Amino acid sequence: MKRILSIVLILFLALPMVFAGGDKEAASTEKVVRVAEQVPGLITPGVWDGQAFSMNSSIYEYLVEINADTGALEPVLATSWSTDTGRRWEFKLRKGVTFHDGTPFTSADVKYTIERTQDPALGHLKKQDFEIVSSVETPDDYTVIINLKEQRPTFVYQLTDYNMAVLSSEYDYASLGESKPMGTGPFKMDQIIPKESAALSKNVNYWDPNLPKLDKILIYFVADIDASISMLESDRVDVVPFVTPVIKNRLDSTAGISVISPYQEQRFIAMTVDMKPFDDNRVRLALKYAMDPEIIARSVAKMELGDGAFYNETPIMNSLAEYKEIPHRGRDIEKAKALLAEAGYPNGVTVELTYASDHPFGNDLAQTIQELAEPAGFNIELKGYTRDIYLSQYWLNVPFSITGWGGRIDPSMLLALAFKSGGSWNESHLADPRVDALIDKISSEVDPEVRTGYYHELQELFYEEGSLINVQVPYLVAINDRVVDYKQPITMLPQYKYMDIK
Amino acid sequence: MNRTLSIVVRRLGSLLATLVVMSFIIFMLVEIMPGDVAQMILGQSATEEAVTALREARGLNDPVLQRYGRWISGVVVGDLGESVYMQGVAINSILWRRVGHSLVLALTAFIMFVPLSIFFGVLAGVKEKKPTDSIVSFFGLATMALPEFVSGVFLITIFAVQLNWFPIVSVIPIGEGLFGNLNILILPALSITFVMFGYVSRMQRSSMIQVMNSDYVRAAILKGMPRNYVIFRHALKNALLPTITIIGMNMGWLFGGLVVVETLFGFPGMGSLLMTAIKTRDVPLIEACVLLITVIYSLSTMITDIMYSYLNPRIRFQGGQR
Repeated sequence: MKRILSIVLILFLALPMVFAGGDKEAASTEKVVRVAEQVPGLITPGVWDGQAFSMNSSIYEYLVEINADTGALEPVLATSWSTDTGRRWEFKLRKGVTFHDGTPFTSADVKYTIERTQDPALGHLKKQDFEIVSSVETPDDYTVIINLKEQRPTFVYQLTDYNMAVLSSEYDYASLGESKPMGTGPFKMDQIIPKESAALSKNVNYWDPNLPKLDKILIYFVADIDASISMLESDRVDVVPFVTPVIKNRLDSTAGISVISPYQEQRFIAMTVDMKPFDDNRVRLALKYAMDPEIIARSVAKMELGDGAFYNETPIMNSLAEYKEIPHRGRDIEKAKALLAEAGYPNGVTVELTYASDHPFGNDLAQTIQELAEPAGFNIELKGYTRDIYLSQYWLNVPFSITGWGGRIDPSMLLALAFKSGGSWNESHLADPRVDALIDKISSEVDPEVRTGYYHELQELFYEEGSLINVQVPYLVAINDRVVDYKQPITMLPQYKYMDIK
Repeated sequence: MNRTLSIVVRRLGSLLATLVVMSFIIFMLVEIMPGDVAQMILGQSATEEAVTALREARGLNDPVLQRYGRWISGVVVGDLGESVYMQGVAINSILWRRVGHSLVLALTAFIMFVPLSIFFGVLAGVKEKKPTDSIVSFFGLATMALPEFVSGVFLITIFAVQLNWFPIVSVIPIGEGLFGNLNILILPALSITFVMFGYVSRMQRSSMIQVMNSDYVRAAILKGMPRNYVIFRHALKNALLPTITIIGMNMGWLFGGLVVVETLFGFPGMGSLLMTAIKTRDVPLIEACVLLITVIYSLSTMITDIMYSYLNPRIRFQGGQR
């Protein structure tokens, strides 16, 4: 008995020694930033489903990008561009750029990237937006001319979309795109372990000799956001994108970690204009009078209004240059009740609100609207579904819905898709000739100032008769204070090339 | 003919039948899972056309039986197919790495809880109704009642946050392997030990008490044999039988079902892979994981049966002495 007892004891004393890994912080001068990302889905540009931004945006590049500080277009692989009336676009390309596999970057690659959008076998996510392209000419290796079927003065913004990364015409993306991503970007892929991690290192042949400033980016794919935050708190990673407001509140008191909101996303609360009860504009107005933007910001985004969370009643984000400042109408329950009674609902009205319950902010936003609207006589029944079911089965044919819309630097495409009669994602079934005419004018007007005038006209129209409430919620990133110059414009593409370590 | 051998053969046969039935059930279950893979992949901004094209390209429009046939004929030759999200990357290359990690974790937990809980179970059984017994039984009950995500958080708070002995998350640093980072195994293994300790030690205790009260043990003690000799040579072998069953039945869970523990600690094993697969509706990956877990469960049950028959002559020789 004693002998066995002592053997067991020795075994347990020996165990910690076997498992003692210890901290192996290699003392090196390399600048390394570690990121905990969500587990990515598809990552090949074209079908990239919009995750693992830190990885893809470091490997791939675009003809142009958005300056995260000013919102202006900046040259990347294109050094300059010009257009006549928005039909014929000429791009001059940067010379001396090579892909990570050593092949030189030329106009053939741009032609390939744009023509690839129409490949029927691919299911390219930008297929619709690039159907407008009639031909791509390559007069020489460093000039590309894109001809459009119709005038589109803001076409260049399409090239900042994250799925429009410039690809090599000589690389087999169909079979290597998911396992060996390859572009011209500031970092190249060293190693990827599917669903686990990726290691990127500095592209020493990068065209800008001063960039990137980091030597390595190490990306962990962590399925659980709480585990990611634990890694951040225990200094195993430096950056965690996509945190929730609740986590932000928790991290606000943690020394050495900051939570920033580089841009906002939109949530459209759509009132369908050809279904009861919102077929009557007085009912739509009644709902708007029942809203309180400050309460929405606080209860949904856990932030003050204007501080990462915004509210308006038009399709234009508050942060855009085209936005027209219209003061909020102010919460007025009596007026809302009167409007409802006028519309034939003196005893209130019952309506179902359909939304994606697993989408960030989904539940909070739906419940807040429900509670705010209740005193005015709206009895809102919440119908939350998982996002894929919401999108495939309910979205576009329910009377009242909440849908997430990414921010777009050029809102004209969104207008055509979501608010023009016959638009393929016209969720509120809007069919207003005045709106249609304004959208047409906006998308063909060459003069930016005149265009902004049309935008303002459109927003006034929406304020009075529109079919949506636009709540803008923050996209939040938690970072260690050691990491400086985290830049991420509204295109959602973080620019790790500028990032540095203090 | 050796009885054990025939049991093995029979067991293998029923294992095969189980797997065939299970593979069909798994396939059908995943099939009726709500949601559409193509929609899921392409996301909100996908057009109807793109979704249809993708469904066509992936063969999602073929009849169910045809797709089952395609899948199972691949599985038979060891081809688990490709993950929905990783075209060009075989599931085999993702899965087996994770299986390896999970095996190491399971083994670590095994080395921890098996000797520990058997030892304390025997101790409690021998010292029935004495303070030692009460303490062991209380501790066993308490840890058994705690789900692993609760005990896991406790362990993290004490050992990782307060004492800073072990890492908070069990993630393998990029560029390093599991074997250079064995310390990440301790906390997950401890929280598994917490769950298993209660089951095993209580089972060991009650069977020990039963055996200690049997006639042959009493006779041995009365005969004047040393007490320890009686406990370890005579009683333990019989008293271990139910314990082995309990351990064996939990081996499947230990090797493939640690979804909660692995997710909590961020450990890159089978469980967290399955979790990721379910979250992203990665159908081929879900099927591969669940099928593998089924295999592990069936195998561990089979091995338990075989060991049981080896240790228990009543089963081994049943009918053999006609």
